[in-house]
Amino acid sequence: METFVQSIVSGILTGSLYAMIGVGLTVIFGVMRIINMAHGDMVMLGMYGSFLALTFLKIDPFLSIILWIPIAFLIGVFIYRFLLKNIVPAGELNTLLYTAGLSLFIANLVLLIGTGDYRTIKLKYAIMPLRPFGIAVPIPLAIAFGMAILITVALYWFLVRTDTGRAIRATSQEPEAAALMGVNVDRTAIITFALGTALACAAGVLLAPSLYLYPTVGEILVAKCFVIVVLGGLGSVPGAIAGGLLLGVVESLGAVYVSVPYKDAIGFVIFLLVLLFRPSGLFGVGKS
Amino acid sequence: MKKIIIALAILLLFTAPWIVSAPFFVHLMIMVLMWAVLGASWNILGGFTGQVSFGHATFLGAGAYTTMILYLKLGIAPWYGIPIGGLAAALIALPIGFICFRLRGPYFALSTLAVAEIIRLVALNWESLTNGPVGLLITTLPDVTFGERLIDWESKIPFYYIIAIITLGSIVATYIMSRTRLGAYSLAIREDIDSAEAIGINTVQARVAALSLSAFFAGVAGGFYAMYLRYVDPDAVFSIALSVEMVFIAVVGGLTTVAGPLIGAIVLVAFGEIFREIFLVHFKLVGHLIFYGLMMMIVIRYLPEGIWGKLRLWFGSQH
Amino acid sequence: MALLTVKGLTKYFGGLRAVHDLSFEVQPGEILGLIGPNGAGKTTAFNLIAGFIHPTRGQILLDGESIAGMKPYAVTRKGIARTFQIVKPFKKLTVLENVTLAAFLRFPSRGEAESQARRVLERMGLESKISALAVDLTLSEQKRLEIARALATQPKLLLLDEPMSGLNATEIEQASILVRDICKGGVTIVWVEHVLKAIMNSSDRVVVINQGEKIADAPPEQIVENPNVIAAYLGTKRR
Repeated sequence: METFVQSIVSGILTGSLYAMIGVGLTVIFGVMRIINMAHGDMVMLGMYGSFLALTFLKIDPFLSIILWIPIAFLIGVFIYRFLLKNIVPAGELNTLLYTAGLSLFIANLVLLIGTGDYRTIKLKYAIMPLRPFGIAVPIPLAIAFGMAILITVALYWFLVRTDTGRAIRATSQEPEAAALMGVNVDRTAIITFALGTALACAAGVLLAPSLYLYPTVGEILVAKCFVIVVLGGLGSVPGAIAGGLLLGVVESLGAVYVSVPYKDAIGFVIFLLVLLFRPSGLFGVGKS
Repeated sequence: MKKIIIALAILLLFTAPWIVSAPFFVHLMIMVLMWAVLGASWNILGGFTGQVSFGHATFLGAGAYTTMILYLKLGIAPWYGIPIGGLAAALIALPIGFICFRLRGPYFALSTLAVAEIIRLVALNWESLTNGPVGLLITTLPDVTFGERLIDWESKIPFYYIIAIITLGSIVATYIMSRTRLGAYSLAIREDIDSAEAIGINTVQARVAALSLSAFFAGVAGGFYAMYLRYVDPDAVFSIALSVEMVFIAVVGGLTTVAGPLIGAIVLVAFGEIFREIFLVHFKLVGHLIFYGLMMMIVIRYLPEGIWGKLRLWFGSQH
Repeated sequence: MALLTVKGLTKYFGGLRAVHDLSFEVQPGEILGLIGPNGAGKTTAFNLIAGFIHPTRGQILLDGESIAGMKPYAVTRKGIARTFQIVKPFKKLTVLENVTLAAFLRFPSRGEAESQARRVLERMGLESKISALAVDLTLSEQKRLEIARALATQPKLLLLDEPMSGLNATEIEQASILVRDICKGGVTIVWVEHVLKAIMNSSDRVVVINQGEKIADAPPEQIVENPNVIAAYLGTKRR
């Protein structure tokens, strides 16, 4: 029983970060129908940002998020405005291929600049896990979880309470109607993409102390991200959050109760099943 | 005029190793040709039929493992194993097709990625069949005589000719397909699948047929890979990276063209190699991927019909 | 015997009732018009007959043979061809290639298929555009291409989905003549249309659908006087 609870807790903690990454991807897809294969590499950049902040600036990784979020936002603006915007008219598939190229480029550029060595971040205050109710909770993960919640709440407030956020939601559901209502679709697109990118990077910054860093980690992350986003329903923010948590828990339980090697396969099998039989997501709220 | 160029190209294909015989270059040419086959394979489904697959490594791996296992466990020589590998790949394409073709466009692409990953993980874990992550190794190839002489498997030349023949086969197959009804139907499916159904085309059957043909060549290339590199493991032959590279070669070369994949392979593999030599001192292993990513972005943005596609249009407008 | 018999056709999308207990017959050689307010279920009915969606309940018989539940290509092979409300040509292929592809159904060799395609294109008045890319045609030409493609499959029954939408008055006039010509050539026609004048002038019989149900089935001159039809289009409150 204790193992079970431990699994669920670990799953939720990791899942919260998956959720953040997933929200970034789903919002980009929802508003602009862009399937961003480079999303995982944004997470990777965030992870390296974390690492660099600690190594060279001697700033605690979690604090460095204040630095990296605006930078990530700007990078997102740049990528959309100068690169992607010209590709989107060519169709979803071409955009997918383009972002696949971008992903390869970014990941290998980082590989070139650094080395391919797996790196880890070791924090002095994170050696021993917390043990609330006897469940082991690694400190970095707990902090990451806490910040992920804060960020998600902030995101919710933004989407529901601000004009820009409402514009994003409107464009996501009915782009033409939104344009007719005076929403500046172009500006909304840029902000959405930058927002999604910033979310991914932020998740990376938070995840770095808990995972191995290497330049091509984006590849497996983006694959998981698609699982999350499809599970939760393409374009749905609450769906992505639920999907992320679900994937975290499923992976965690799978690692304990099913054999470790096949646990990654579970996610993909579920992904296929959902795509085939419930394309609007487990909760039926997504676009198919 | 066109026939002269083709004849010259074939001549060049078969005499190349005598013109440039340094082992490094022969290896490079072998790699170019192998990737040309993989690109041609992907092009049959992704180019002509418009179904973008991100999981084609599945078929490469199926062919590679089939050839390996047949040789190592049953003693069947690779030159029989390679076509059988192709057939094995064509066979597993059937259920994969029936599952994945229920989806369209980007969702189809993602589903193929999921299938490829599942198969990679299965290969990684089914140790009794595949030896798991350790992989399978060929130590010696069987003795075979060609004419009077024993083939020297230590030299790269025999491998060059084998892959050259396979490449020619894949190009001829693509050409023949483009002239048949299947080719025409594939183009219709690529343009508008509902319209295609409305005019009486069984689009599931046509797509599965295209997929099988495509898988066959990927499987054959996989068998060759196994024989040439003499080592396979799940992460080498079932990787997403491999699938993505196949896409790149076909797209950069020119979709729906017959020669596109060959041009794409020449540009990406050969120039990628040169790029690596000039610019990168310490990351030779995957440095070429930066080049691939960059080329992909440039092509999609400025040359959507591919390098060869663009050249063809340009030649066409000259007359 | 009726060429097409639709009996008790019903389609639910989740909880949404799109078509309910729809029944009508189409006699060989006639032009049947299908009209009704927006969202009435006309295109759904078409999609059901053509096989693009499958009925929840009900029968669809072509020459007495059940075709409900068949895939679209199979329905076409049986002899029903359709056009789409928003035209779907094979954009990057030429006009000739577009129609040749359809001709392959009955003429397996490329040479014969091309000849058939040329014949049909001539009937449609598109012979001068044979080498043009489909995407480069005007809307009126694209609609004719769509019909040419359907005719190349030598259908017994042609389903026309709003062929007049987007056309100007002259083009509508030409299209009406074209539709009557096609019928004279031996093809039975069922067409959905919003341009009421055109459909009333050219149809032998009209079926009116409202909210997924049939509310009238009679020759055009009786339809215009039917109070239920008037109510459906204008609303039920009479002052």
